Amino acid sequence: MATAAEQWVLVEMVQALYEAPAYHLILEGILILWIIRLLFSKTYKLQERSDLTVKEKEELIEEWQPEPLVPPISKDHPALNYNIVSGPPSHSIVVNGKECINFASFNFLGLLDNPRVKAAALASLKKYGVGTCGPRGFYGTFDVHLDLEDRLAKFMKTEEAIIYSYGFATIASAIPAYSKRGDIVFVDRAACFAIQKGLQASRSNIKLFEHNDMADLERLLKEQEIEDQKNPRKARVTRRFIVVEGLYMNTGTICPLPELVQLKYKYKARIFLEESLSFGVLGEHGRGVTEHFGINIDDIDLISANMENALASIGGFCCGRSFVIDHQRLSGQGYCFSASLPPLLAAAAIEALNIMEENPGITFEPRKSDCRLH
Amino acid sequence: MRPEPGGCCCRRPLRANGCVANGQVRNGYVRSSAAAAAAAAGQVHHVTQNGGLYKKPFNEAFEETPMLVAVLTYVGYGVLTLFGYLRDFLRYWRIEKCHYATEREEQKDFVPLYQDFENFYTRNLYMRIRDNWNRPICSVPGARMDIMERQSHDYNWSFRYTGNTIKGVINMGSYNYLGFARNTGSCQEAAAKVLEEYGVGVCSTRQEIGNLDKHEELEKLVASFLGVEAAMAYGMGFATNSMNIPALVSKGCLILSDELNHASLVLGARLSGATIRVFKHNNMQSLEKLLKDAIVCGQPRTRRPWKKILILVEGIYSMEGSIVRLPEVIALKKKYKAYLYLDEAHSIGALGPAGRGVVDYFGLDPEDVDVMMGTFTKSFGASGGYIGGKKELIDYLRTHSHSAVYATSLSPPVVQQIITSMKCIMGKDGTTLGKECVQQLAENTRYFRRRLKEMGFIIYGNEDSPVVPLMLYMPAKIGAFGREMLKRNIGVVVVGFPATPIIESRARFCLSAAHTKEILDTALKEIDEVGDLLQLKYSRHRLVPLLDRPFDETTYEETED
Repeated sequence: MATAAEQWVLVEMVQALYEAPAYHLILEGILILWIIRLLFSKTYKLQERSDLTVKEKEELIEEWQPEPLVPPISKDHPALNYNIVSGPPSHSIVVNGKECINFASFNFLGLLDNPRVKAAALASLKKYGVGTCGPRGFYGTFDVHLDLEDRLAKFMKTEEAIIYSYGFATIASAIPAYSKRGDIVFVDRAACFAIQKGLQASRSNIKLFEHNDMADLERLLKEQEIEDQKNPRKARVTRRFIVVEGLYMNTGTICPLPELVQLKYKYKARIFLEESLSFGVLGEHGRGVTEHFGINIDDIDLISANMENALASIGGFCCGRSFVIDHQRLSGQGYCFSASLPPLLAAAAIEALNIMEENPGITFEPRKSDCRLH
Repeated sequence: MRPEPGGCCCRRPLRANGCVANGQVRNGYVRSSAAAAAAAAGQVHHVTQNGGLYKKPFNEAFEETPMLVAVLTYVGYGVLTLFGYLRDFLRYWRIEKCHYATEREEQKDFVPLYQDFENFYTRNLYMRIRDNWNRPICSVPGARMDIMERQSHDYNWSFRYTGNTIKGVINMGSYNYLGFARNTGSCQEAAAKVLEEYGVGVCSTRQEIGNLDKHEELEKLVASFLGVEAAMAYGMGFATNSMNIPALVSKGCLILSDELNHASLVLGARLSGATIRVFKHNNMQSLEKLLKDAIVCGQPRTRRPWKKILILVEGIYSMEGSIVRLPEVIALKKKYKAYLYLDEAHSIGALGPAGRGVVDYFGLDPEDVDVMMGTFTKSFGASGGYIGGKKELIDYLRTHSHSAVYATSLSPPVVQQIITSMKCIMGKDGTTLGKECVQQLAENTRYFRRRLKEMGFIIYGNEDSPVVPLMLYMPAKIGAFGREMLKRNIGVVVVGFPATPIIESRARFCLSAAHTKEILDTALKEIDEVGDLLQLKYSRHRLVPLLDRPFDETTYEETED
């Protein structure tokens, strides 16, 4: 039965072949030949390798001259020869052999040559040695680090704090941990270099607003809102951040934090506050610009500061709610892939914090001398 | 044998191949079994000796993952993922308590800060074995350390410190290669003196008022240690890479970076804006092909010639334990007129008869390496990084490096620690302590690796590298190994995804000159026991020759920002 059916189909086919018009057959024949040709021809490579001969390639390699690795620097470049400081860089400083009064260091609270800080660091040196020989994840976490994080969190009245071993790396690692490609960051035009590097590493869309100009920021936020309404699906997954500094390194002005917090809730953007210069200086107890303006610290998503200015140590920290800070323990590059802070520096920072807590008046000194100078 | 670049004939270094019968898949390409069979037949240690490039045998081995183990590992991850989805489901419907922190009430209508899937791995896999990492210690990270005991009553979501310390844990995790992590001795005394005199902080950048005389002294010493014209020191090793590579290359330049380079090198390369192409790990044919193609074809699309080509390699790769094939890289670099950036974070102090790093190990001229970068954290027991090279390079970096302008300089007691330890290694302090440490480390390395291989573990990397990765493969064994070793008073480092490929999780031992033979023997005995308990002895016991990776014609990944 089956074979009969097959034969019947075959007969039909052969008959159709005979009955088809000639042009149809010729067209079909050409198409079949074309397919066979394509099947057997060489693959077409999208990235065309040059069809240069080996000899030509060798000539090209011979001829190519790279630029010198670095351009020559003239001997009298202003930044080439650094001023050499002999002895401790405290209030009275010896620069290039001459004794001067120090108006150049960020030693705001004068803790650089405080004997208590030195004693605490010395005790730590005698107990732990100098280096930690490992990142935080691999036996580089010392009880001093945990202590310091605890104390900083308590001092700033936040849930958690995280320490970095270098001030520059703090904000430069914190921003890319949260803001990724496709997210939007509104940042002040006068932001410091570390923030700029952090933003560059994050690959997000950067929108600059005029320095301390809240109207300009609001304009940008409104524009973004209009964009969002055009594409609500994309808007639902695009995170927004506002990055500002408490006290700007480049201009010396304070950011208008209350207005920023209002804008935050109106346009649903998170605030990252960089307080390297304002920590220990502004606010009644030195808690920074949030205390200065009397704002609830939970309104700021992340506060980042370095301990190299007021605390006269080395390193940096971020503090905020656990929900935000804990993420950096696995995604902060400067935290995971770098050795932890030497314990003597952490101990010095703890002692400096103790001094700050014991005499809150210490933070008023720089402001008083500031007013006199102005 | 075809002529090598540089004109000498050489036999290509061969790589290990454990499984002969079926083609193994490693990093995406299949090893040809015929070649494997031929190579594995009988030879114990294949030695590369070619005319001028390698002065001594270069033995590096990466044994193949056994097929059964690979399958079981994938199955393990599959089971964990399924359970992960189940638990997420239960947490979402509040059947199970949510332990992790959540967003504030007032900000619930903001765009979520984290995408759920990003943290899937963290929540469901990492959390289970989290107690193996971030173990706090409360003593010097020397050969033995004291770990603070912590407990968790909610399966690692939160830890509570019991107040006890586990004393005298053998430390196989810290980067203490030459044993300078000490709280007594000349280093500590000198650092204490400087601390008294200078204080702890600096509060300024190098270009402003933060350049102390100590820094100048350090830089001269580093330059003489490395055998280069000049050097510059920075406050953080990570920042050294990420801030100086952008100063050297920019848009229109090409960076050829090894597959397994450290995060700091990758970040520095990305921040520079140059085009990045990746070559297979330690594979010189891959590198040569990229160099040839780059010069012949020029920049993509415009075909303009490249301004510069910079090769980024590391001395010792810390996850694999492999050493860079420096003689070949230098030969290639000279032939194609590229520049070489060598990151000696782990190899400085740890390799070479005089402890001067991978250049010393191969007996090469330091002038051949254009940029020698390294860190002070590992072998010198301090912190910070340095870059050494020709005077023009260092002058340029002094004026143009981001770190010099914007970042704080090194702390004075840390600088003194580096100076004292470096003088000790060089023998300038009048003792032979440095030399003895370097020799002790080399002996420890050879002994430890040989014993582990004899026991039957799969060990990766070069014979002479003090970083010893021991393969675990299965996710459950990561946690088990770490915990079992701690029970036996040995602290080890275990690493899994994403620091390593997903099925190649490992335990990594870092040897130190401070480890005595007794300590090593104790450790080996315990590792043997745990290896039997967890069935970790996967090796087919063939101390196999080194086969070059047959690399793929379809080649390089180009990443442009």
